[in-house]
Amino acid sequence: KTIGLQISAGFQELSLADRGGRRRDFHDLGVNTRQAIEHVQESKTGSSGVMIKLTTNYFRLTSRPQWALYQYHIDYSPEMEARRLRSVLLFQHEELIGKTHAFDGSILLLPKRLGNKVTEVFSRTRNGEDVKITITLTNELPPTSPTCLQFYNIIFRRLLKMLNLQQIGRNYYNPTDPIDIPNHRLMVWPGFTSSILQYEESIMLCTDVSHKVLRNETVLDFMYGLYYQVEEQRFRDVCTKELIGFVVLTKYNNRTYRVDDIDWDANPQCTFRKADGTEISYVDYYKRQYNQEITDLNQPVLISQCRRKRGSMIPGPVVLIPELCFLTGLTEKMRNDFNMMKDLAIHTRLPPEQRQREIGKLIDYIQKDDNVQKELRNWGLSFDSNLVSFTGRVVQGEKIFQSGNVFDYNPQFADWSKETRGAPLICAKPLENWLLIYTRRNYDIANTLLQNLFKVTPSMGIRMNKATMIEVDDRTEAYLRALQQSITPDTNIAVCVLSSSRKDKYDAIKKYLCTDCPIPSQCVIARTLSKPQTAMAIATKIALQMNCKMGGELWSVEIPLKQVMIVGIDCYHDTLSGKQSIAGFVASLNQTMTRWFSRCAVQSRGQEIVDGLKACLQTALRDWFKWNRSLPSRIIVYRDGVGDGQLYTLVNYEVPQFLDCLKSVGKDYNPRLTVIVVKKRVNTRFFAQSGGGFKNPPPGTIVDVEVTRPEWYDFFIVSQAVRNGCVAPTHYNVIYDTSKLKPDHVQRLTYKLCHVYYNWSGVIRVPAPCQYAHKLAFLVGQSIHREPNLLLSDKLYYL
Amino acid sequence: MGETFQEERFTGVVKFRPPLYKQRYHFVKDLVGKYKPKKVADLGCADCTLLWMLKFCSCIEVLAGVDICASVMKEKMHRLSPLPGDYLQPAERSLTVTLHHGSVAQKDPCMLGFDLVTCIELIEHLEESELKKFPEVVFGFMAPTIVVISNPNSEFNPLLPGVTLFRHPDHKFEWNRAQFQSWALEAAGRYGYSVEFTGVGHPPAGMENVGFCTQIGVFVRKQTVNTQTSESAQSEKPTEAVYKTVFKAVYPSLTDEKYLQNAVVGEVVFTAQIITRSLLDSSMSEHEENNDDPTERKSKFQPSVNYFSEDLGKLVVEKSMKPFVNGSVVYIPLKTIFSFPKVKRLCGTFEQLRKLIAGKVPLSRDGSAVLLSTEHENE
Repeated sequence: KTIGLQISAGFQELSLADRGGRRRDFHDLGVNTRQAIEHVQESKTGSSGVMIKLTTNYFRLTSRPQWALYQYHIDYSPEMEARRLRSVLLFQHEELIGKTHAFDGSILLLPKRLGNKVTEVFSRTRNGEDVKITITLTNELPPTSPTCLQFYNIIFRRLLKMLNLQQIGRNYYNPTDPIDIPNHRLMVWPGFTSSILQYEESIMLCTDVSHKVLRNETVLDFMYGLYYQVEEQRFRDVCTKELIGFVVLTKYNNRTYRVDDIDWDANPQCTFRKADGTEISYVDYYKRQYNQEITDLNQPVLISQCRRKRGSMIPGPVVLIPELCFLTGLTEKMRNDFNMMKDLAIHTRLPPEQRQREIGKLIDYIQKDDNVQKELRNWGLSFDSNLVSFTGRVVQGEKIFQSGNVFDYNPQFADWSKETRGAPLICAKPLENWLLIYTRRNYDIANTLLQNLFKVTPSMGIRMNKATMIEVDDRTEAYLRALQQSITPDTNIAVCVLSSSRKDKYDAIKKYLCTDCPIPSQCVIARTLSKPQTAMAIATKIALQMNCKMGGELWSVEIPLKQVMIVGIDCYHDTLSGKQSIAGFVASLNQTMTRWFSRCAVQSRGQEIVDGLKACLQTALRDWFKWNRSLPSRIIVYRDGVGDGQLYTLVNYEVPQFLDCLKSVGKDYNPRLTVIVVKKRVNTRFFAQSGGGFKNPPPGTIVDVEVTRPEWYDFFIVSQAVRNGCVAPTHYNVIYDTSKLKPDHVQRLTYKLCHVYYNWSGVIRVPAPCQYAHKLAFLVGQSIHREPNLLLSDKLYYL
Repeated sequence: MGETFQEERFTGVVKFRPPLYKQRYHFVKDLVGKYKPKKVADLGCADCTLLWMLKFCSCIEVLAGVDICASVMKEKMHRLSPLPGDYLQPAERSLTVTLHHGSVAQKDPCMLGFDLVTCIELIEHLEESELKKFPEVVFGFMAPTIVVISNPNSEFNPLLPGVTLFRHPDHKFEWNRAQFQSWALEAAGRYGYSVEFTGVGHPPAGMENVGFCTQIGVFVRKQTVNTQTSESAQSEKPTEAVYKTVFKAVYPSLTDEKYLQNAVVGEVVFTAQIITRSLLDSSMSEHEENNDDPTERKSKFQPSVNYFSEDLGKLVVEKSMKPFVNGSVVYIPLKTIFSFPKVKRLCGTFEQLRKLIAGKVPLSRDGSAVLLSTEHENE
């Protein structure tokens, strides 16, 4: 049985389905995991915390009482091939069928029931041929049936098109009122994400504001811009790096493509073979087909690999002309451009009040458009005009324990950097023998860093000797040579001050110190250290980070569960070379969750990531045994990095592999296993009602009603605080659980784990092991490209 | 006409390359290329494929489609909507696409004033009564400059496999050349048109006597009569609207001030940024004695249209137009920006430029220069 449910192939072709390739079931419909978890059959809700009134970005879809959708099968005798003709013939009987219908050529959906179960009618083609049409009722679908849900989404997309919204990717945008940001040649289209699903109590439309960043710049413009900025010999390299992985939008049709390569040897005058076998040059083709003039005949061409069948297109390379492609989205460089992001954030980061208003606009459009209303009425459907409201819970903030001290933090900010400043750490690793490498130009900066570290470390309890100071040329090889020559078995850590954010130098250093010569390392960009007003704060942060990397421990929260190993998994997909995926795997080593084991699985294309994860789990258990002289009786896995539509694979392949792995440890070893899928990218938003307005819900807000799914054991937690914009809740879905832990305990444990990520003295969006796994996978995927040395596996060297 | 006809030995099966329907559409497209009509209507537009092809023709400002079947039109009508690219780079011409649900046997004032009306494979679908009214509606009432009518040439049918009576079950009749031509000449004569006959879909070698697979009549209104007929048509028939509009799309265009302003502001800011960058670069290279002059570089990725350096070169000549840096602010004279071809083309006049960017771009106090801050240039 395939994942998800589909009405029929024909309905997908009605251009109502998602564009862009094979239709995936983004909503993981039909993966019913709750039914296998016995102790949450009755209830999956928690209980602790204080109540809070919440509103969310959902609208109820209501249907008339006794509403049903009638599904008919249509047969033609003699057989009619053309869909158009089939529909023309069928709708000659509109007085029977009615004006409201959805027909894909063989299946007819109606909002009403015809008189008979089987109806035979006759139509005559215009040349006098009589055709018998048999209309057979095959199904009477209740509003909650999966087919109906799919039907709602099809109808809703129809409505969005009626509202003249433009589809780009999965979402719909309003092109008539764009926001122009001329300083950055950007154009932002406001729009909506939307999906209709069966939620806990009712069928609802979830809609959120979405912004499409488009650029008033063709790929060719971009190439020229770059050409004038970089040296000649580096141009092609830089250009390739900047553009690969980018999604471009073609001028002449509404298609998006991912740039996979640039063919520098080709140009628009090259020819290609058309479907009918004739050869034509790109220039002529675009002129003839789309009246698009290509003015620059020397430009290279872009290559996009079409991996899946897309409509009539067969998989294979697609050639695109830079001049005819617009860039979409932001480059890494743009993301790092503080001013640009600030200018953009004004328009895209909406505070709760405003976001809520924008969301309301969609329902407004729907309620005010006569055609849309008519269509809805004809189907017997309507949308509530108010956002769904319900009650959530806010659980208490955790106490922060640090070496005998207990700290409370302000729950509003979810941050304790001020509170714990200057307090001794749980475990401070000495800096007795360490290296500080810098270039001549940065001597002063390095020296200041050293002095500042001397100032901040004593109160933390870190013993520190003067570093071995090494001055090097500003070349990668010089850094590497210095490391090779100076590292001894006693070296605690190597600190490198880098003069720029050039990635190659950083990569080379990390690669060397994570694989060939495994010792912790800390790289700092000189500029970060150069501002006197922040120098002390930065030195504090660096000291803490270095301590973690050497195996030190900073703080902890109370974890009542004993004998439990917490695992975090996240994936990094190397989009640039497109070859590797890396799974970061992190597992707790001690009761207080202050030490973590880590490994990663490097997986080349076509290989299952799960094989590597099995090996990771095995090693983690071995290490746990070494540390605790026993094996954990519970294992709780937080699995991040799961894409939309991948849940089925996870439930049916990954979880069994984990169980297999545990079985292989020993005959009598039978730990309880919990697997929780963590999702950061969700469209759900919560608004806390305060006075007459809306605010972000406070950290610790837990939601396990209304917007969760009945077939899952799932919940949302808002764990972090944000300064501007809307806070995004994290979705947790317990897909496997033999722990028998109460939902309340699972929720609380999850929230606690969001407190122990050592690179941030505050609460984060996901449990710490997920964030550690993310960091590890990112470092390996970006810089190291192979599995780091296992000697480092009990340290947070990847922070 | 430029279509490629596959010369193959006649084996009893005729295949057209490109497919015949495409050849018909290309015929229309070529005709549009030749006569450059501004307003084009397609009668019997079906799933709007021809309209979709025609929307790319830059001479057309008004496109209309008419069909008797609304659901067929609706099926794919959204591909006639403007694309994101049309918004990102609005065209110079304006374009409005409208679809009407109605019969070609009825008169609707929205069909008046067209330059070209196409009826591709339409008339053979008409009932006798409809066909009778058709010439009066199209030639008498709509009275466009050019009418194109195509229909199957029945003499070709024996060469088509599986065709017994008609090529399509919905065809009411199929004419041979003589029948079509006499009908066409009759209509042309009555309404003051001249007509020429051609077609697409060549017969196989040795069978040339059957003629084109699709026969086409191109009707051109005779200059002398035209004003009279169209006037008389319009004045004597105060028809009311009978067609139902099912779709309408207005394309963003630079003729709309809103889009023009956006385009100009964008181009001005971008131009100012380019000038600033080159200004700062050159002052930097003076400082660092950098011999690597970026303008001297030659590469394989050689801009075939020399992008900016020419324009920048001109700047130096006219001293008054020279941009300069004052503290962290760069002053770029509007005149300089106006000298860039792209800006000039968009605005036309200097006054227009001033008007369009007023309040949208930071200007010096006297309004003669664009101000750009260099503060954020780094980081």
